[in-house]
Amino acid sequence: MTSRVLVVDDDTALAEMIGIVLRTEGFDPVFCGDGPSALAAFRETRPDLVLLDLMLPGMDGIEVCARIRAESGTPIIMLTAKSDTADVVKGLESGADDYMVKPFNPKELVARIRTRLRPTPESSVETYAVGDLTIDAAGHEVRRGDERISLTPLEFDLLLTLASKPQQVFTREMLLEQVWGYHYKADTRLVNVHVQRLRAKVEHDPDNPRIVMTVRGVGYRAGATT
Amino acid sequence: MATAVDDSRATGSWRAVRRRLLAVWRRSLQVRTVFITLGLSSLAILVIGLYISFSVASNLFQDQRSRVLEASNNATAAAQLILDSSDAADRGSLQLLMKATLDTVTSIAGTNDVALFRDPEAAPSTNAPPDRLSPDLAGVISPELRAQVQQHTERQYWQSVALENSSGGTDPGIVVGSVLQVPAGAGRYELYIGYNLAEAERTLAFMQVTGTVGALALLALLSAITLVVVRGVIEPIRTTASTSRRLAAGDLNVRIPERGEDELASLAASFNGMADSLRERIRELAELSVMQQRFVSDVSHELRTPLTTIRLAGDVLYGQREDFAGPTARTVELLHTQTERFERLLADLLEISRYDAGSVTLTTEPTNLVHLAGDVIESMNGLARERGSELRLEAPGGHLDAEVDPRRIRRIVTNLLGNAIEHGEGRPIVVAVDSNATAIALSVRDYGLGMSPEAAERVFDRFWRADPSRVRTIGGTGLGLAISLEDAVAHGGRLDVWSRPEQGSVFRLTLPRSTHVGGEPAGPGAVVPPLPLEPDDPGAAGPPPTASVGAILPDDDREVHDA
Repeated sequence: MTSRVLVVDDDTALAEMIGIVLRTEGFDPVFCGDGPSALAAFRETRPDLVLLDLMLPGMDGIEVCARIRAESGTPIIMLTAKSDTADVVKGLESGADDYMVKPFNPKELVARIRTRLRPTPESSVETYAVGDLTIDAAGHEVRRGDERISLTPLEFDLLLTLASKPQQVFTREMLLEQVWGYHYKADTRLVNVHVQRLRAKVEHDPDNPRIVMTVRGVGYRAGATT
Repeated sequence: MATAVDDSRATGSWRAVRRRLLAVWRRSLQVRTVFITLGLSSLAILVIGLYISFSVASNLFQDQRSRVLEASNNATAAAQLILDSSDAADRGSLQLLMKATLDTVTSIAGTNDVALFRDPEAAPSTNAPPDRLSPDLAGVISPELRAQVQQHTERQYWQSVALENSSGGTDPGIVVGSVLQVPAGAGRYELYIGYNLAEAERTLAFMQVTGTVGALALLALLSAITLVVVRGVIEPIRTTASTSRRLAAGDLNVRIPERGEDELASLAASFNGMADSLRERIRELAELSVMQQRFVSDVSHELRTPLTTIRLAGDVLYGQREDFAGPTARTVELLHTQTERFERLLADLLEISRYDAGSVTLTTEPTNLVHLAGDVIESMNGLARERGSELRLEAPGGHLDAEVDPRRIRRIVTNLLGNAIEHGEGRPIVVAVDSNATAIALSVRDYGLGMSPEAAERVFDRFWRADPSRVRTIGGTGLGLAISLEDAVAHGGRLDVWSRPEQGSVFRLTLPRSTHVGGEPAGPGAVVPPLPLEPDDPGAAGPPPTASVGAILPDDDREVHDA
């Protein structure tokens, strides 16, 4: 099955080039050139992943990102010319899973896309318990009692990684490697922002986390089972 | 001994006082002006006062003398008239005549100090009345006066004398001598009349005292006037001085209050005009600079999208280069490497423009510099081995978490190591990390080419190359060290260099252990580098061999509290 990738970029040359690279790698790219029509294109094509330029005519990429995230957990990778703190963090906070700073090379692009599309690794254990949550690894589900908590695939991966080794403290670098697939030093803000987003969904009180615990100066670990 | 010490102490304190006075003299225009005015006017008043005093005294004396001479002349004439009209012949009547004559003389001359001497050369006569001498005149009539009087009988002679007064002192006086012809064979008599001029002297003294008091009052008044006038001029000058100091310190909105239309007001007006145009210029320059920085940033960003397309296209071609004929394959390779270089240049340019715009924010987190250095060494080991250089890590200290932006510090270390490898001539490279109470330092030492001190001074300049003819092999952008320096400074730290030709270089990064000390960003002067800049083996061709290459030593006990 070929994965469909929605490329939202107003630069037609870049979009076409990305399309060539994606097609060579066996993806099925679809295109959209501006912000306002991006949402319609997303609903129409049901892509497996969205490549989203942050600077778009009509509607800002961050806005598009937030709207897509509001209705779907589909992985979103932002393309940005600016790696400045504010822009990237804003994009991540509005729900993007990962970002790539222009200029990037094709290998990098494909690697990032593959990481986001890979299936959750099979594990011997079916369910994990963290705090008062139950994680069903095979069913891709997180429950608190009977209530189902909706997480994006990335957030699920993050929680599952922490929950699979409850005794272990994960540094941000370890999480970047295991969840985002970075094998070299990457931006630890990715971890910080997504831990915040995850906490907002799973914690009773995000300011006083019980599920995703911070280990000061080291990283994060899963909370104890209750 | 003690005295000598006291003396030297006294001399010392006197010198200190003198130095202070000199300092006041040099620094205060007001003091100087008042003292100069006072000195010059004192001199003028002294000269004028002395002149007046002398001329008044001399006038007074001449006046007194002519009066005295006139009175004495009258008295002598009257006395001679009495003597000439007398027919006394015997001793008794002569004595009576003499008495009457002297009474007349005293009454006309207005003084009781009278002396009468018979001509010493006249023949002795029993009739002649005896000499008379008032006690006040005793011993004041000089033989010279008497000789003159005796020689020129027709004239009066006078002499200034000191007359004893009742209080035991002396008063100034004049003695006038003349000759009387006494009848009845008594012959010539010298008549001396003494006048006391104490009154005139008192007048003079009173006048002098009045004059002196007046002069002192005038001087005091002059000082006060000078003080007031100078203050009136000095105050605006002081205001101007302090205002220009504040202006120089960067407060572009300070102005001098303009009052009136005098010279000081025009000074204030032109100063304010200068400040206005200065502010205007600075504002223009700042706007221009912001525009330029924004332009550089925009250009860098705008270039990125087409560069991404080029990069993707180049990489796709590069991936298929085996399918192309020789020259085309090489073309594709060149396209690939130069696109990468262009990309690095663009990234560095953007980073520099960010620093220029002051829009850099540090994302600090507790970071272990020894681990960071170890990571960088590991990532650069391949390149180093290619060049034949061995990378060593020596960390006697620094095993603590410093509050730094790890991304930037990693960039600095990577850059320093890259430079060391490029210029290291294949000799070993030593990375050292150490810390003290306030700072943590990392130095990179190579034993390669090195630079002259002049070159080392410019090594942080943008796009500067020590040797333009030397080919860049690792492909630095020429902005690496400039960015590293900005990164270090942004942390409140510093980046120093030591280098000697053919002896290699040392680059030392010093960072405060926490970026904020007491709420204030620590200045570059606040940190004492824990590592020396100058190596202790400047001439060596390589580090001493160590058994524990790349070993990380266990934590010092002093770091225990800092975790």
